[in-house]
Amino acid sequence: MARREYRGIEKKQARWGFAFVIPSMLFFSLFSFYPIINAFYTSFFDKRALSKAPPKFLGLGNYIRLFDPARAASELSFLNSLRATLVFTLGTFIPLLILSLLVAVFISNLGNNKAKKFFQIAYYSPAILSSVVAATIWMIIFDPRGLGNQWVNFLMHTPGIDHKWLVDPVMEQVSTMVIYFWKYIGYFVILFITGLATIPPTLYEAATIDGANKNQTFWRITLPLLKPTVVLVSVMAMLQCLKTFSTQYMLYTNGAPRAPINVITFNIYVTGIQQQYLGRASAMSVVLFVLMLVLTLLQFKTTNSEQTEY
Amino acid sequence: MQTFKRQTVMQWLVYLVLAIMLVFTLTPILFMISASMMDRNQILRMPFSWIPETFKQANFVKAVQGNDQSYIFIRNISNSLIVSITVAITTVLIASLTGYGLAKFRFRGQNIIFIMIMATMMIPFEAIMIPLYMVVTKLHIQNTYTGLILPFLVSAFGVFQMRQYLTTFPTEFLDAARVDGMGEIGIYWRIVLPNCKPVIATLAILSFRNQWDNLLWPLLVSQTEKMKTIPQYISSFALERSTDEGAMMAAALLASIPMFLLFISLTKYFIGGSAVYESRKG
Repeated sequence: MARREYRGIEKKQARWGFAFVIPSMLFFSLFSFYPIINAFYTSFFDKRALSKAPPKFLGLGNYIRLFDPARAASELSFLNSLRATLVFTLGTFIPLLILSLLVAVFISNLGNNKAKKFFQIAYYSPAILSSVVAATIWMIIFDPRGLGNQWVNFLMHTPGIDHKWLVDPVMEQVSTMVIYFWKYIGYFVILFITGLATIPPTLYEAATIDGANKNQTFWRITLPLLKPTVVLVSVMAMLQCLKTFSTQYMLYTNGAPRAPINVITFNIYVTGIQQQYLGRASAMSVVLFVLMLVLTLLQFKTTNSEQTEY
Repeated sequence: MQTFKRQTVMQWLVYLVLAIMLVFTLTPILFMISASMMDRNQILRMPFSWIPETFKQANFVKAVQGNDQSYIFIRNISNSLIVSITVAITTVLIASLTGYGLAKFRFRGQNIIFIMIMATMMIPFEAIMIPLYMVVTKLHIQNTYTGLILPFLVSAFGVFQMRQYLTTFPTEFLDAARVDGMGEIGIYWRIVLPNCKPVIATLAILSFRNQWDNLLWPLLVSQTEKMKTIPQYISSFALERSTDEGAMMAAALLASIPMFLLFISLTKYFIGGSAVYESRKG
């Protein structure tokens, strides 16, 4: 009797638990799973937003078009977008990773707690500005008469040279990288500082007693133990870079050439929303999704196999 | 002696790197603030002088008046506030409800549901915006607040955070309340939620900020000037006023004030908030 009553309570509890989860289940089915399935489906059709006729089935036609080598020569092709995205991602996340790790180690080694906090807050402050604001500020800095040229010319002793920040294709890519790097550096510094804080100080003490210097402790203790954080941060930074949109959009709408910064998301936006080729844009979305999925799985795989015991 | 010297050199090198980074991160912000008060000629003068010669009020007036003196800035910044605050509230409510359900109840399919929700973290918004745009067109909620808000009601990351936090919550409290005859919804509202304050603050800030920064989705959904959000406003203002740098910076500064205020008053949740990502590796 008592047992049945207990099971009754458990059943009631189970119902409550399920009820609490229902809103999320509905939301994620409608706004995550349905759209991604729909993206796959639409990518096989020649769907246009304004056409009333039923969309024509293309099979892999959209994908073949995207990866058609004959189109690679065209400046605004998808292959070019892939390249622009890759260049941007590598050019941004490698400096981000190295410098944020370096700076985080430096900050963690500071003796003064107030100084630690000050640096964290100062480095983080660009992250609170929206991407659009960040791009606007840097567009003025990159003006031919702006601070960008003045600084670089001062550092390189090349007075009076215009570095064509927003005009030259390569410099334009560099500019987007600088803006992005500036906005996210503080964020990743803090991730690393948190990771560093999880390494037990006793390990450093032991190493110092054994006669290891700072350099050795960094390479032999800090870095190996920080490896899960490094992997996590690098994949997160990479995913973040692959999704970049606002910076490129702002530079383009304000007159910078499109081809060098025509990243995948920007291409999806132009193809799907401005030109109304929904099918083709969906195929691009699927490629972006698969790209990011592979990276995320890589992240889970590496972080799970690298659990460190202290 | 030798090692002592090397140590000090290293120490100075550390300070040098930190100082350079400090200049790099802070000058653009200071530039925005001082340029917002400057005349165009002063902003683009070589070499740049940091102290504004005059306080140019006209910059701020122009920034608020907008391109056609319609004061659409006020409407647009209100739109951003409405969307961001609503999303912050719904995210906290739904994520905590789900996190609570997943952490403190046992029911069939629980693990599958959790895994499915976590799996959606691998679906980037940028990859599903085209289908979402089609959904919004079909539902005829383009150009409405509903359309702007709906795809962001809750985030998988929020559910994850809430669940992790509540797993460590002592079940005895909940049972005691049950014995006292409190209803399940009452327990959630009066015991669980008030005890989640730090994680709620972190999550609310994160959601608010994501929407404040969102340009892509409003570009798809908002069609009239009235329904645009602040990133769109800055974007079109910068385009129209491309030769009026002072006004551009004034608009950028005004658009950043809410985030500045939030950052100053809740610094620890910002700094700690990004650190919460760390728990993902566990």
